[in-house]
Amino acid sequence: MSDTILEVKDLKQHFPLRKGLFGKVYNYIKAVDGLSFSLTRNEVLGLVGESGCGKTTVGRSIVRLYDPTGGEVWYDDGEGNRCDLASLSKEGMKPYRRDIRMIFQDPFSSLNPRFTVKDVIAEPLVIHKVAKGAALEERVSDLMTEVGLDPNYMNRYPHEFSGGQRQRVGIARTLALRPKLIVADEPVSALDVSVQAQVLNLLSRLKDELGLSLIFIAHDISVVEHISDRVAVMYLGRLVEIAPSEELLRDPKHPYTEALISSIPPADPDIKMARIRLEGDVPSPTDQPSGCAFHSRCRYAKDICKAEAPAPREIGPEHRVRCHFAGELSLRGISD
Amino acid sequence: MRKKQRTNEILYDNGAGERESYWSLVWRKYRRSGIAMLGSVIVTVLILLALFPEFFSTEDPVKLNMRHTYYPPQLIRLVDLDGKLRFPLVAYGVKQTLDPRTMIPKWGVDKGQPFKVRLFVHGYRYKILGLVPCDLHLFGANGDGYVYILGADKFGRDLWGRICMGSRITLSMAIFGTIISILLGSTLGIMSGYYGGWADNLLQRFIEFVQSFPQLPLWMALAAVIPREWDQLSVFVMMSLIFALMSWTLLAREVRGKVLAMRETEFVLAAKEMGASDARIIFKHLFPNNLSQIIVELTLTVPSIVLAESFLSFLGIGIQEPLVSWGTLMRDSQTIQTLGFHLWITSPVIFILLAVLGFNFVGDGLRDAADPYSRH
Repeated sequence: MSDTILEVKDLKQHFPLRKGLFGKVYNYIKAVDGLSFSLTRNEVLGLVGESGCGKTTVGRSIVRLYDPTGGEVWYDDGEGNRCDLASLSKEGMKPYRRDIRMIFQDPFSSLNPRFTVKDVIAEPLVIHKVAKGAALEERVSDLMTEVGLDPNYMNRYPHEFSGGQRQRVGIARTLALRPKLIVADEPVSALDVSVQAQVLNLLSRLKDELGLSLIFIAHDISVVEHISDRVAVMYLGRLVEIAPSEELLRDPKHPYTEALISSIPPADPDIKMARIRLEGDVPSPTDQPSGCAFHSRCRYAKDICKAEAPAPREIGPEHRVRCHFAGELSLRGISD
Repeated sequence: MRKKQRTNEILYDNGAGERESYWSLVWRKYRRSGIAMLGSVIVTVLILLALFPEFFSTEDPVKLNMRHTYYPPQLIRLVDLDGKLRFPLVAYGVKQTLDPRTMIPKWGVDKGQPFKVRLFVHGYRYKILGLVPCDLHLFGANGDGYVYILGADKFGRDLWGRICMGSRITLSMAIFGTIISILLGSTLGIMSGYYGGWADNLLQRFIEFVQSFPQLPLWMALAAVIPREWDQLSVFVMMSLIFALMSWTLLAREVRGKVLAMRETEFVLAAKEMGASDARIIFKHLFPNNLSQIIVELTLTVPSIVLAESFLSFLGIGIQEPLVSWGTLMRDSQTIQTLGFHLWITSPVIFILLAVLGFNFVGDGLRDAADPYSRH
């Protein structure tokens, strides 16, 4: 049994921009542009970055909601099958959809309002013809208990539930087929802070009990740090830094990671923070800056950053950074 | 032990039970609108008329009776001409006189012919829905009496009976045409929005093409090319198809727009991610979520077809005799003479108005009620 469940190599997802009557392609949005990482079995990888950096696209490309433009996504089911998901046809992908599931961001739009909670949770079981009739009902009931919902509510409609409960419904639906790998696309960012903690605890409990591997996408590094073993930081469709969470937070090696960490509010309101403000927005993914993509907002940028794109560098065990000055700058992590 | 820990996580636990279904929620909201309820009553009555026209009519609507030509509407009286209360109610016969100078016929009340009007009388024989023989009528005069509550036409046929008969043709054509139009519009609209790309482009250009035709001349041209020797059923189906083919585009556009937006919502993505087939996504997810739109459009297409049918039949290029529709009945009122001397011949207009208003009221009510989940 191999230890790596997922290996993403040079994943690219470009969306064509069309215009005119015949839809002539005049440019591409390079939402994901050459992304590589791997995921160990039973590991949680946090994927962070600000809005528009391509995190969600990465998740959707892995579960093949989008057909990747380039690159490979190797999945190992732990029973000797290894397969490049990116090259599969729609039909060929179907058996793997049982193993690899997704949790969606918005618990309000991710549940069909015309379905009862039972229909929602049962849908994957029905599609993959796993159970029907009384057995189906029993499975749904078990799943609801598993995520902390009262099975008596199974005939209710999603609009009768709170955001946190709806997200639990979404999680139950995701677990229905006993997946091995879950891509959680900002599962808590639409929830209240108090409910966020509950859902995070639920996810980490389920991960231990069911032996899941998890890619946890979030825009908030403080959400990710609790649940992740490793954290990958994305900027403009590329990974800029990936490291074990503890190490990344304490000792970031990329200026962008430093800026993200400095935005975590400290628990004590009396502590004065020296927050690093990034000027401007993320540059447009249609028209990326030359050299290092981050140079336009980086406070340490030098001439070389404008001219040359840095290659990813290994600077420690499992610690990769894409910066010309990795290791040379002294950057601040979380102050404790 | 673990079980116990889990139940602690359950957030609310106060006697859950069966919940109201979607349709009962819609009904609850719909009931609150007075105008929608009025519309439902009108529509129900008209549909009953269309289903059982013979039961509601008093005189045989196809029997010619030249002595009763242009008889005016008879009042059904509770108080008779002598000022006495009458039960059963009474309707007086019609006395015809000629104006000695102009020789124009005049009609008056014949006190010598009081007909007793009762409920559930036995009258002319007919078959319920063309199947079950019967001679029972809701009301009517006994024996040799006659009651024309809306008067008689130029052949002495009961106008009320003919309107009841006409409602069958007019409404069934409207509903049949609407169903075709809705099936076409919703299917093509959903497909167009869901698949997108060149298919969408092609269909939208085709819709623009259909919509850019001037509607009236096209209707008239299409109706005019129906061969005269066709049997009644073929003409009926053909007319319905013509109306359907002209009216599906609007719904197709609306549904396409909604599906286009819905295609990117997470519940559709989630279904794709589970490996659902296109058919499942279309019929289980997209169609039910567009149902409110489709039903509203349905109730608004019916009156538009009623109007179109009446218009074409009024001009004489729609339904032909011996079929009777509200439009063909209106043909008789094309003359100045009618407007001057027997205005009651125009009474089918009232039913056209009622049908249009009734279905529109129902549509308005449904539009508001169809989305009981629209809380957030």
